[in-house]
Amino acid sequence: MTIQNTSAALAEMNLTRHCPLVTCDQKVKRGERIATASAPGLGDIHAPSAGTVEHVDPYRVRLALDHGETVGPEVLDGLSGPELLARLRTLGADVPACDQVDTLIINAMDEEPGLLSRRTLLAERLELLKAGAEALVRGFVPVDVVLAVPGSVRESLPDMEVRVLPDQYPQALDPLVAKAVTGIEMPDNTLVVGLETVFHAGLIMDTGLPVMETMVTVGNSSRLIPLGTPVGEILSTDGETIRDGDRIVLGGVLRGTAAASPGQGVDRLTTAVSLTRNPAPVAVDAACVGCGECVRRCPARLDPSMITSYAEFGQYAKAEAEAVDACFECGLCGFFCIARRPMLQYIRLAKRELAKAKAQSGEETQP
Amino acid sequence: MKPLNPFALTVSVPPHRHCGTTVRDRMVMILMAMLPAAVMAAMTFGMPAVRVMALSMAAAVLAEMACDYFMDRETDVHDFNAFTVGLSFAFLLPASAPWWLVAFGSAASIVLGKMVFGPLGGSPFCAPLIGWAVCRISWPAYMDVNASMLATDLTYPLAQLKSFGLDAVRIMDTRQLFLGKQLGGLGAVQIAGVLLGGLLLVMRKHISSIIPVGVIGGTTLTAFIFHWLDPSIYASPAFHLLTGSTLFGAFFLATDGPSSPNRQVPMLLYGLMTGALIIIIRTFGVYPDGVPFAILLANLFTPVLERIRPKPFGRR
Repeated sequence: MTIQNTSAALAEMNLTRHCPLVTCDQKVKRGERIATASAPGLGDIHAPSAGTVEHVDPYRVRLALDHGETVGPEVLDGLSGPELLARLRTLGADVPACDQVDTLIINAMDEEPGLLSRRTLLAERLELLKAGAEALVRGFVPVDVVLAVPGSVRESLPDMEVRVLPDQYPQALDPLVAKAVTGIEMPDNTLVVGLETVFHAGLIMDTGLPVMETMVTVGNSSRLIPLGTPVGEILSTDGETIRDGDRIVLGGVLRGTAAASPGQGVDRLTTAVSLTRNPAPVAVDAACVGCGECVRRCPARLDPSMITSYAEFGQYAKAEAEAVDACFECGLCGFFCIARRPMLQYIRLAKRELAKAKAQSGEETQP
Repeated sequence: MKPLNPFALTVSVPPHRHCGTTVRDRMVMILMAMLPAAVMAAMTFGMPAVRVMALSMAAAVLAEMACDYFMDRETDVHDFNAFTVGLSFAFLLPASAPWWLVAFGSAASIVLGKMVFGPLGGSPFCAPLIGWAVCRISWPAYMDVNASMLATDLTYPLAQLKSFGLDAVRIMDTRQLFLGKQLGGLGAVQIAGVLLGGLLLVMRKHISSIIPVGVIGGTTLTAFIFHWLDPSIYASPAFHLLTGSTLFGAFFLATDGPSSPNRQVPMLLYGLMTGALIIIIRTFGVYPDGVPFAILLANLFTPVLERIRPKPFGRR
C-alpha cells in the first residue's frame, strides 16, 4: 500500500538478493544482522537502529525504530586477507568477490551528472576513506592501486596513483574507468570499487560496527543518511511536498530507479534521492523508427536499436548474437531515442531472460 | 471512516530525463530545412510549383490515414513524417506535373515506400523515391522535365548534356545554376536553398554529416576521374554537383534514417557509393538525373554495409 505520509520512526530495508533472518514482532538491537546476502560480493543487512520488526516479505523488512542497545564492536585485527573481506561483507560492505586482483581501481568519480556523493566523501571523510582503502588493499593484495578522480578534486589517498579523468558522462562508469586507467577494455584481474564501498569499509574498520549510514545526494548537497530512512521522509526534511503522481528517483536520472512508495528505504547503493514533478514518464510504447541515434551514441559500440527490437519480440538468442552482454547500461540510448523507447528496460529484459535460460539449461544438464 | 486520499507515485523505467528531441521535432526540423528550397521553387516556377507541393503533401497525409484505417491501427500522422515524404516527392517532380500524377505518386510513396513495411522505421527504401520510380517508369512522358516544361525559357542542363553533349552546357553560368535558374525537380534544383537547409540539419545534428560528405565526395571524385580522362566529353564535378538533385539527395534523401547505415564507416561507403552511382547513371544510363535510382540502389546495400562493425566493448 502506498501512503503519503512517512514517519521518521520507521526504517525499510530493501532485500535484493538477501534472505531475511528476522520474524515479525522480533526485537532487534542496533546493528543486529537482519538479512544475509545470497549472492557473492554482496554485504549483509543490519538494523540501523534498535527497534521492532513490523513487516517482513521477500523484498523488504520494515522496522519500527526505538531507543535501545547497540551490538558490541567486532575485533578485526589479525585476520588474513580473504577473511577480512568476508568479515567486511558480513558487516555490510558490498565488497566484490574477486580472487586475483592485480590492479585495484577506486572509482571516486560521481557516476552521473548531478550526483555529488563521492565528491563529498572525498572532501569530508578522508580519514575513513583511508581506513577503508587500507582494508581493501589488505584484503585483495593488489600490485597497483589507482584512484580515479574528476578534474576538480584536490584530495587524494595515500600510497596510490591518482588518475584524473574527464568529468563527462559516461566516463565515470566502472568499465570505462577501467579502460581509461589500464588502456584495455574489460582488463583481466582488474577490480573497480566504488568510493561508497570504500567508505563503508572505512566505517567498519573505524568502529567495528556494521554499516548503518551512507552518503546520499539530496538536491544540491550530499549528506550522511541512516540506511532504511524512507525516501519520502528525506524529501520532506528537505522541504519538498510529495503530491499524487510524482516520481521519486533513487540514483541518477539516466540509470536510477523510481521508488515504489515514499516509504521505501535508502540502501547502500542509493547515491541520490530526487523528486521529479513531471507525471509523464519518458518512455512510451513505440516501435523503433530506425534513426540510428542510439548506434551513434553507444559507448560500447553496440546496435541498441536491433537489440531492443529483438528483446521486444522475445528473440533473446538474437539479442545475444548482437552482444547484449557487452552493454554496461549507461542509458544513453534511451536518453537520445527520438521514438522514446524504453531502451535500457529492453536491454535488461534480454539480459535477464538470457541469464534465466542459462541457469535453467544448467539445471537440466545436471544428473 | 478514514478519509480517502488517492495517492500513488509514478513508477517508470530509466532514463528519467530525455534529450527532448522526438520524431515529430525531427520531422518538423526537416520540413523547416526544406522551406528555403520550397520558397525558391515558388519564386522560380510560380503557382504551379506551390500546387504540386501542396497536393503532394495532402495526398501523402490522406494516403497514410487511409492505410492506418484499413490496417486498423492508430494513426501516427501527427508525427509529420507523411508531410516530409510528400514534400520530398514534390521536390523531385517537374512543376508541370498533372494533378493525378502528383496524387498517385505521393500516395504510392506512402503506401509502397512506408506503410507496407509497417510503421515508420521499417522501410528498406527512402519512401519518396519509391513513388518517383513508379511514376518515372509508368509515365515517362509526364515525368520528363524537359518535354513538359516547354513554356519556360529555363533549360534542363542534365538533359542537354545527355542529348547534345558537353558543348551545349558549357555556356551555363555556375552562379545561375546555384540560384536555381534551371529545370529539374522543382525543389531539388534550388541548390542554394537545399544547401542552406542541409547545412542547418547537419549543424543541428538532426542528420549525420558523414552521408552528405560521402555523397558529395563520391560525386566529385567520380566526375573528376571522367573529366580528367576526357574533358571534351565529360562534364566537370561542379556541373554535376550544381545540377539535378545531387545535393537534395545528399542531404535529404540519402540520409533517411531506416534506409541508410548508422555507423561511420558504412555511412561513408554508402555515401561514396551513392555519389559514384549518380555519375555512372548520368554518364552511361538512359536517365538524365541518376540521383533517385542511385540512392535506391545504395539503399539495397545498406544491410551489407551494416555488417561492417567494430567489435563490441571488451571483446577480443
